[in-house]
Amino acid sequence: MWAKMICLDPRTKLFMVLTVSSLAVFITNLSLLLCVLLLALAAVAFTGGNPLGLLKKLKKFLLIFVVIVFVQSIFTKGGQPVWQVLNFTVVSDLGLVRGLQMILRFFIIISSAAIMTTAKPREIIQGLVQCKIPYELAFMVTIAIRFLPILRDEVNDILTAIQLRGVNLKQIPLMKRLKTYAYLIMPMITSVLLKAQELSVAMEMRAFRAYPRRTSLRTLKMQKQDYLIIALCFFVFLLVVVLALKIK
Amino acid sequence: MIVLENVSFCYTADNWILKQVDLEIANGSCTFVVGPNGGGKTTLGKLMAGILKPSLGDVYLEQQNTKDLALFQIGTKVGYLFQEPERQIFAATVRDELAFVMDLKEMAKEEINKRVEAALERFQLKEVENSYPFQLSRGEKQRLALAAILMHQPSFLILDEPTTGLDLERKEILSQVIRQLKEQGIGMVIISHDEKFIQNHADRILMVDGGEVKDVG
Amino acid sequence: MNPIEVKNLSFQYEKNTRKILDNLELTVAAGEIVAIVGLSGIGKSTLCYCLSGIIPHVYGGIMTGHVYLNGRDTRDLTLPQIATTLGIVFQNPDNQLFSFTVEDEVAFGPENLCLPPEEIECRVTDALEKVGMLKFRHANPQQLSGGQRQLIALASVLSLQPEILIFDEAMSQIDRRGKKMILEMMLKLKAEGRTIVMIEHDLENLFVADRVLVLKDGRLAPFAGKLS
Repeated sequence: MWAKMICLDPRTKLFMVLTVSSLAVFITNLSLLLCVLLLALAAVAFTGGNPLGLLKKLKKFLLIFVVIVFVQSIFTKGGQPVWQVLNFTVVSDLGLVRGLQMILRFFIIISSAAIMTTAKPREIIQGLVQCKIPYELAFMVTIAIRFLPILRDEVNDILTAIQLRGVNLKQIPLMKRLKTYAYLIMPMITSVLLKAQELSVAMEMRAFRAYPRRTSLRTLKMQKQDYLIIALCFFVFLLVVVLALKIK
Repeated sequence: MIVLENVSFCYTADNWILKQVDLEIANGSCTFVVGPNGGGKTTLGKLMAGILKPSLGDVYLEQQNTKDLALFQIGTKVGYLFQEPERQIFAATVRDELAFVMDLKEMAKEEINKRVEAALERFQLKEVENSYPFQLSRGEKQRLALAAILMHQPSFLILDEPTTGLDLERKEILSQVIRQLKEQGIGMVIISHDEKFIQNHADRILMVDGGEVKDVG
Repeated sequence: MNPIEVKNLSFQYEKNTRKILDNLELTVAAGEIVAIVGLSGIGKSTLCYCLSGIIPHVYGGIMTGHVYLNGRDTRDLTLPQIATTLGIVFQNPDNQLFSFTVEDEVAFGPENLCLPPEEIECRVTDALEKVGMLKFRHANPQQLSGGQRQLIALASVLSLQPEILIFDEAMSQIDRRGKKMILEMMLKLKAEGRTIVMIEHDLENLFVADRVLVLKDGRLAPFAGKLS
């Protein structure tokens, strides 16, 4: 909604992502982490993304989260048992806390990455370059993004092809499983390598890396709203850090 | 026999690629599917191969509904040759490519060798039996993929643009292979826009355009 | 001075392997369209790479002899220097186009040359006009047809304003409509005085060429109808 009226520079979005991600990494208090997550989701909505859709997608990871809580409980010493099976602690309170921390951090980082998807890739490259990042790196990142859907389709085709050859992926005997995966990796890697090679030749034949710098058809200019948002990010960052220290 | 009963297909709710298609493909026949790019040729091919399930309607392979069949069961009825042979080559040598599935299923070694030797002879791959498949030419890769698919003895083959990137002589080799398969009674559905090739082999031509499938000549 | 002159060109990937090109000679005059045919795997793409400087600058191997573009040896030129003289359109549009809009793709070349934005804007418009795709300026190349994508690949090469164009089996993965678009473009470019070398599989595309040569046993000979 508002995003249509307010156009943010990709560098601003990058800043938002950095703010939120670094808070996620350093904060340990669960309620503060939850606040940061809500802020991240709000930022996604503000930049024109779809926070609810994101949450729906994350539902798929529920099983992994449960496993994480178990693993943290079993391997973290100290902490009172919350659930025991035959005198063996399956879930401890410390494990629960650690597990939830990891989950919340994961959610926050994914949400903040979603902020970047609201920016046009060519603009992201330009933003990175105007931040003095070498353009080769910037291009590498966006080309990877550009090819992801193609790679996903290819992976699907490869999985389909091997099943059509009579391989039932859901019931491979344990011994043969590793070998089977090796067979799948072969076409995947080869296709990526071939593409990369052809693309890099095509780019070089259009003078890529002719000079250490390159110009751009469109340049980015920071505007009032960008500075405002960046200032807001600073403020939020300091606020959360102060709260975190106070709670300690 | 492949039967499509009132089949409609869409990837997203507002874009129906195929609408209410009724079709019967007879055993042993060679049917070509033509039409503009993006018009639904590949989708039709994948529906016939059971790779895609219809959004509405049913597809029957030898009287079995594709909705009841898992992908790994389809391979013995219908083989599908992707346009890019690289997507269906998995092993490090040509020999291994032909053998690995039977190996995974723990078939007897002598039986595996027998079948592999037969396939190598038939598809003129004996010379390259120990080569790394990705170093083969496009035509050889294609023959390898075909040989591998035919190991399962499907009664139908669906080929997606098999003549792309083949020069005249390789097309001739492909033509010979297709004639042999026809003689064996293997039905084929070939998606192509190569007119000469179509003329040489088609028993029936289907035109797919705007969601509809029509017989043309 | 001819745009392309090849003298005694030999190439093999490694010592003691087959010589893919063996004392090959070729001269292409300005404004000519020369088609090169031959069996798969015979070395047509290798010849392409040698003509465009991809060999030796990108791919290695043992190359002897000389390739002169407008009188200058490709060994003495850098790829960016070659890029403004010779442009190459490859077979698979998916592995040449990587941008999210047509405009970005066509602007890529001039941006690499550090041209000022106003000049880049001009070149993008000119190139798109030439290939008849100006109205797709802000489209996503992935949503265009195969033929249209090859036209964008061509435009993104034309924005560097090369006199020589190489089409490396550029029509083999597109349908009839697309092939027609590319063939018409080739005639248009020839009318402008550009020099074109087309590597072809499909003998039906040869009618646009002034001369057809066949690559056999590492050398070029006039094509008399048989590939081998």
